[in-house]
Amino acid sequence: MVSEPALQDCPSQTCGAPAVRAASLGVVLDERPVLRELNLEIAPGELVALLGANGAGKSTLLRALSMLIAHEGRLELFGQEVTKDQPDLRRRIGLIAHQSMLYRDLSPRENLVFFGRLYGVDNPAGRADRLLGEIGLADRGDDPVRTLSRGMTQRVSIARALMHEPDLLLADEPFEGLDAPSTHSLQEWLARLAGAGRTVLFSTHDVGQGLALGRRMLVLRRGSLVVDQPTSALDGERILQELTTP
Amino acid sequence: MMRAIRTILLLAGKDLRIEARSRQTLALVIVLGLLIVVVLGLGLAAGQKTSPTAATAILWVAYLFGGVLCFEKTMGVERQDAALGALLLAPVDRGLIYVAKLVTNLVLMLGLAAVVTPAAVVLFDFDLSANPAGFFTVTLMGMVGFAAIGTLFSAVVSSTRLQGGLLAMVVFPLCLPLVVSSTQIMIRLFGEARPLTAHDVGLLGAFDAVYLVSSWLTFEKILEP
Amino acid sequence: MLDWICGKTYWTVALAALAGAVAMLMAYTPVEATMGPIQKVFYVHLPSAINAFFACLLVCVASVGYLAQRKTAWDDLATAGAKVAVVLCTVVLLSGMVWGRYAWGKWWTWSPRLTFSLLLWLLYAVYLIIRSSIESPRQRATVAAVYGIVAFLDVPLVWLSVRLMPDIHPTSVTLAPPMKLTLGVWFLPVTLIVIGSVGWLYRSGRRRTQRRRMLQSQGEAG
Repeated sequence: MVSEPALQDCPSQTCGAPAVRAASLGVVLDERPVLRELNLEIAPGELVALLGANGAGKSTLLRALSMLIAHEGRLELFGQEVTKDQPDLRRRIGLIAHQSMLYRDLSPRENLVFFGRLYGVDNPAGRADRLLGEIGLADRGDDPVRTLSRGMTQRVSIARALMHEPDLLLADEPFEGLDAPSTHSLQEWLARLAGAGRTVLFSTHDVGQGLALGRRMLVLRRGSLVVDQPTSALDGERILQELTTP
Repeated sequence: MMRAIRTILLLAGKDLRIEARSRQTLALVIVLGLLIVVVLGLGLAAGQKTSPTAATAILWVAYLFGGVLCFEKTMGVERQDAALGALLLAPVDRGLIYVAKLVTNLVLMLGLAAVVTPAAVVLFDFDLSANPAGFFTVTLMGMVGFAAIGTLFSAVVSSTRLQGGLLAMVVFPLCLPLVVSSTQIMIRLFGEARPLTAHDVGLLGAFDAVYLVSSWLTFEKILEP
Repeated sequence: MLDWICGKTYWTVALAALAGAVAMLMAYTPVEATMGPIQKVFYVHLPSAINAFFACLLVCVASVGYLAQRKTAWDDLATAGAKVAVVLCTVVLLSGMVWGRYAWGKWWTWSPRLTFSLLLWLLYAVYLIIRSSIESPRQRATVAAVYGIVAFLDVPLVWLSVRLMPDIHPTSVTLAPPMKLTLGVWFLPVTLIVIGSVGWLYRSGRRRTQRRRMLQSQGEAG
């Protein structure tokens, strides 16, 4: 079932150590295996879609790759094995999760500047300004986050993940709760990041969106990787079939 | 070292800024503290001269309950919208996250003490002048140990629903040595008019050290996004 | 090993040892001069106190094990230890109170020793209460593990703090050789029963955990 990693999608100039290399990667939560024997290699600059039914382990995989939860087996990010605390690796990873991970009593600007300083970003205020402009929230930048709409909050949360210019962006259903224009600009944004040599892995439950945006697709079923192919070789029927197989 | 201090200040500054914005915790805690002082004062027969021991005991109760509320609130900020997850993603040592929360909690508790202590002194006609330095030393050292335990447990307990009673339930018995020893020392200071000895300070210091070190070591094991 | 501890042979030996120790206490051990027969609670008191300490240590070790490995077996072991610790602390506290009643005429004095056993009892009773107030198994185990570690570190601190209290009753006990022998003999049944109880509680805790997990995975499949 599992095919060779689609290395041909990698822009040749950025091919060095893969952004992600997992060998027999597993995650056990409460003594139950949530991810099993995952083998995966993602090259820098790839734009990868991650699909799977609810509970298949999408969020768990993204959390393991972002070093939030412990894993079994071997996991390398940018050629460096993930062991315990590696601040230099953490600095290269950004995560967009289901929840906004923002302080709701602070303004978007304060949130961004705070996280920027935490990551040691140069001139965090200037970078926050630029990002706020890019997400179209320059005029709401000083209102508390709790007064923003769901879509706006989501955009701020994306800006937070990009504040320190991560080389690997992991996004857990980033399109959830976004309206059509925001979805469109986020798609463009992710594509642009990948074009600039950054690696993007996003999960979605929308097969069409995964096929349209991702250059390569991973499908998880009950904690195992069942599809790993370039999207050009896949069609919606096939994916749906994989997703609905018990 | 300088980096660590900068990170702690950044994290604690963020907490205090949130507190300044929402102005929830401190106001709540202070009112609760005053309420406790008044209720216990009335319970101990208002109008009669309260012994200095009773006054310090009442203050302890006010600090304990107010403190637990502080711990809950300051960690609740991290749980809302999973902001803690973003902290854990960042290249920040988890021990520093603990220390920063501890600093925030101590600042808030000092705010509480700054209002409640004079109120109790006036209401109970409690003569601090016998040994003000001793009083503040013992109170402060007691608070450090209490906040060390409270900050640790707020990280585990704050994500359960039973917050209120549970955190107090967890923290109070563990802090009993602090309560017993500081009460006994206060009795000596104000009841028997003896000075604070190096032994007293050493004992409280040792308690604080045990609480701080064990909390600091376990904290990183329990933090989960 | 576990099955053996929970088995008939083990418990027969333990209860026989207990019967023997009781018989010895009745027939052989001399009555102490000042306290009279009440002094005999001492032979239960001290072995229980020492076993209580080991039960608390077990809770602490199992808690460290849980935090390090996140295996529910450690959590079940800590629970078993805490239950036994509470029972032993109760025995220590009650026998201490009986002693106090006859030595000083009062059931309760805030003497350092009595206060110490009360606080210890409280510390571990709260451990069990906390467990029953948290629903999520993972959360419960984590909170309990942290509590179990800090509580054990608290034991010497409690002792140091109660020593600050005024102690009007010196309680040094001098024992005649036959009394010492009785005390030594009493360690055996108490320790056997404690080990057996921990084993039995651990096994039933394990079964409950496994059953819960089975039901949970069935629920997910269905």
